[in-house]
Amino acid sequence: MKKFLYVLAAVVVVGCSSGGDKPAADAQTPPAEAAKPKPNPKGYGRITEVKLGDIDHALAKKGGEVFDTKCVACHKLDSRYVGPGLRDITARRTPEWIMNMILDTEAMLEKDDTVKCLLQEYLIQMPNQSVDEQDARNILEYLRVAATEPASGK
Amino acid sequence: MKMKIWLSVTLAAVAVGMYFYGCSTQKETAAIGDDAATRTYVPPGKYDEFYNFVSGGFSGQLAVYGLPSGRLFRVIPVFSLDPEKGWGFSEETKPMLNTSYGFIPWDDAHHPELSQTDGVPDGRWVFINGNNTPRIARIDLTSFTTAEIIEIPNSSGNHSSPFTTENTEYVVAGTRFSLPVPNEDVSIASYKEKFKGTLSFIKVDKTTGNMGVAFQILVPGYDYDLAHAGKGPSHGWMFFTSYNSEEANTLLEVNASQNDKDFIAAINWKKAEEFVAQGKFKEMPAKYAHNVYDESTHTATSTMMQTVKVLDPSECPGLIYYLPTPKSPHGADVDPTGEYIVGGGKLATVIPVFSFGKMVKAIEDKKFDKEIGGVPVINYQAALAGEVQKPGLGPLHTEFDGNGNAYTSMFVSSEIVKWSLKDFKVLDRVPTYYSIGHLCIPGGDSKKPWGKYVIAYNKITKDRYLPTGPELTQSAQLYDISGEKMKLLLDFPTIGEPHYAQAMPADVIIKNQKKVYQLKDNKHPYGVKSEKEARVERKGKEIHVYMTTIRSHFMPDNLEGVQVGDDVYFHVTNLEQDWDVPHGFAVMGAENSELLIKPGETQTLKWTPKQAGIYPFYCTDFCSALHQEMQGYARVSPAGAKVELSTNTR
Repeated sequence: MKKFLYVLAAVVVVGCSSGGDKPAADAQTPPAEAAKPKPNPKGYGRITEVKLGDIDHALAKKGGEVFDTKCVACHKLDSRYVGPGLRDITARRTPEWIMNMILDTEAMLEKDDTVKCLLQEYLIQMPNQSVDEQDARNILEYLRVAATEPASGK
Repeated sequence: MKMKIWLSVTLAAVAVGMYFYGCSTQKETAAIGDDAATRTYVPPGKYDEFYNFVSGGFSGQLAVYGLPSGRLFRVIPVFSLDPEKGWGFSEETKPMLNTSYGFIPWDDAHHPELSQTDGVPDGRWVFINGNNTPRIARIDLTSFTTAEIIEIPNSSGNHSSPFTTENTEYVVAGTRFSLPVPNEDVSIASYKEKFKGTLSFIKVDKTTGNMGVAFQILVPGYDYDLAHAGKGPSHGWMFFTSYNSEEANTLLEVNASQNDKDFIAAINWKKAEEFVAQGKFKEMPAKYAHNVYDESTHTATSTMMQTVKVLDPSECPGLIYYLPTPKSPHGADVDPTGEYIVGGGKLATVIPVFSFGKMVKAIEDKKFDKEIGGVPVINYQAALAGEVQKPGLGPLHTEFDGNGNAYTSMFVSSEIVKWSLKDFKVLDRVPTYYSIGHLCIPGGDSKKPWGKYVIAYNKITKDRYLPTGPELTQSAQLYDISGEKMKLLLDFPTIGEPHYAQAMPADVIIKNQKKVYQLKDNKHPYGVKSEKEARVERKGKEIHVYMTTIRSHFMPDNLEGVQVGDDVYFHVTNLEQDWDVPHGFAVMGAENSELLIKPGETQTLKWTPKQAGIYPFYCTDFCSALHQEMQGYARVSPAGAKVELSTNTR
């Protein structure tokens, strides 16, 4: 009975470090031993491996166009808006995690402890904006480029 | 320990529940099936097996229920304003309610009819008639929205409508109220001489579903009441019932009930197509509106049509025949094989069943009793397959289960009567509560009914529900027809007055559901695809706000420089691309409804502020934890004020 209760608590309340927006590996472990989350830096979804090469500026340009349509209503690069600022996202998350968050938003919201912590901080679930896999890859490239550029207040 | 206490409490509760259940059902076991609760119980989170499209009657709308649960899912606005969805209030939807009489905010919707392919409902569209200002609407079942409304010229009381042919080649319309054609200022006493009926065939485009009035047939001024198309061997024919063959124009309840028999008009529409192709029609001037909603611009356009092709039976031999039918017939229903045509004579003591084969033979052998205005009247016995004897009182409508049985609603004796198509003998009868009008079996007017349930749509509920003042709820009842005896399973309330309804398996419709409108395909002239394009522009006295919405803010959400006397158009594009996330939009003091904007859609609210001041606007459809933060302000200044037109997005 006791064990059951702890498991339940672990499911409902995810232990989050202050600030929330930290890589999954940093998330504090819940009290019960049984509920210790396995770090899963790639997140949950269809993307299991992304091979990154040199930055492809043509991809990044396309990604920027999609970003301007489907993402900017909630994300700025350099500051918090509806969701977190994204200029340094590629330093904080794996490429797989980023693409899974875009493509399989529902699964990430349900399963990923980092996302659960983010929800506690931002209180709004990221919508699935029906981006296809190629466009998600393009957005990733756009964010890689953004990470190399200085903050512009955007 | 605690666990044990819990368990015993639960057991006690279950036991008490069972005890009460046993008590309350004991009295009614005769009336309802023993397993009614389990048969109609759809557990939380599970889907119903069937969609049931139920006419909203004098609400003018179409309601969508699940069967067997009877749960209401959606009221689709069709002919009447719906402030909940902005239907008829947004600039984009206003043209849908345009007619030759101007903007009409209401109608009386009677008969939903699913589109068919090879005589079977295909789940693409559902059509419904507007009775008062004669129209037919087409509802798109990928989005459950009204896609098109066409007005019917030379018509009034569009009751015998919109029944479909077996491949949705045509849906039909007919005049319950005859009129001078063309309509003019005449003495009502000149009815017999001047008043005519019209039976209209509306062509439906195979791919787009778009409707157009192909031709009308000018007929004597009877009241054309209901219709159904032939199928299989009788494909190519349409059967309309008529009453008031007396051509009375006053106190019809007496004066139109004199004749022993009125008529079913049998129309050979394939022949009609030939006559039209031969040019045997008269092109008549006739003004009627054709309104189409474009899903890419999210905007309706209304086009005023100018002429209609009219066929005169006296110049088109073989186009139409009358089948004498006792007495003031209501329903005209064709069985799944296409051989039998059942007439529901509401004042008759029998249900006549005509044979299509015998009718064709009678026409070949010229077994005619007389001619009316060039229309041959076929001898009753020559076309008759048989009569259902002592069926009950007030037979109205018949549906079929696909297993050789017919089910007829009996208005006066408040019952459904099941009878055999083999020998026309009554097999079973079951009471309805009360005064049943139409009835529906899923696919029950098609070639392949799903004969699991019959649903009764009742006119009176009296003591069936908690009372709600002088007007009580409307209601339907679900019966199991899978066995020999019909079993009552469920009562469920409905909106408006339910007339006809149709049902079909849910899986066919589910797989075509649209979840969002693609933002990239949005061609609305005032739509924007990104928050970066949000802006405001002035064109003289018009202010156009290109606004976006996404969880959970508007852009722009501050607006200044509006002056008293301006017309402000909020063109709101919902940037969401996620299922089930519409946003609402409403402005304080706007003489308008809210907007409800579905993902990827643009809708426009027109607002004409009359006083200077600050006007908040907000999202009306709870969208997120920060929905209460989804708000903004518009500043209105006096006419001529020097406040620059601006937004926070400058």
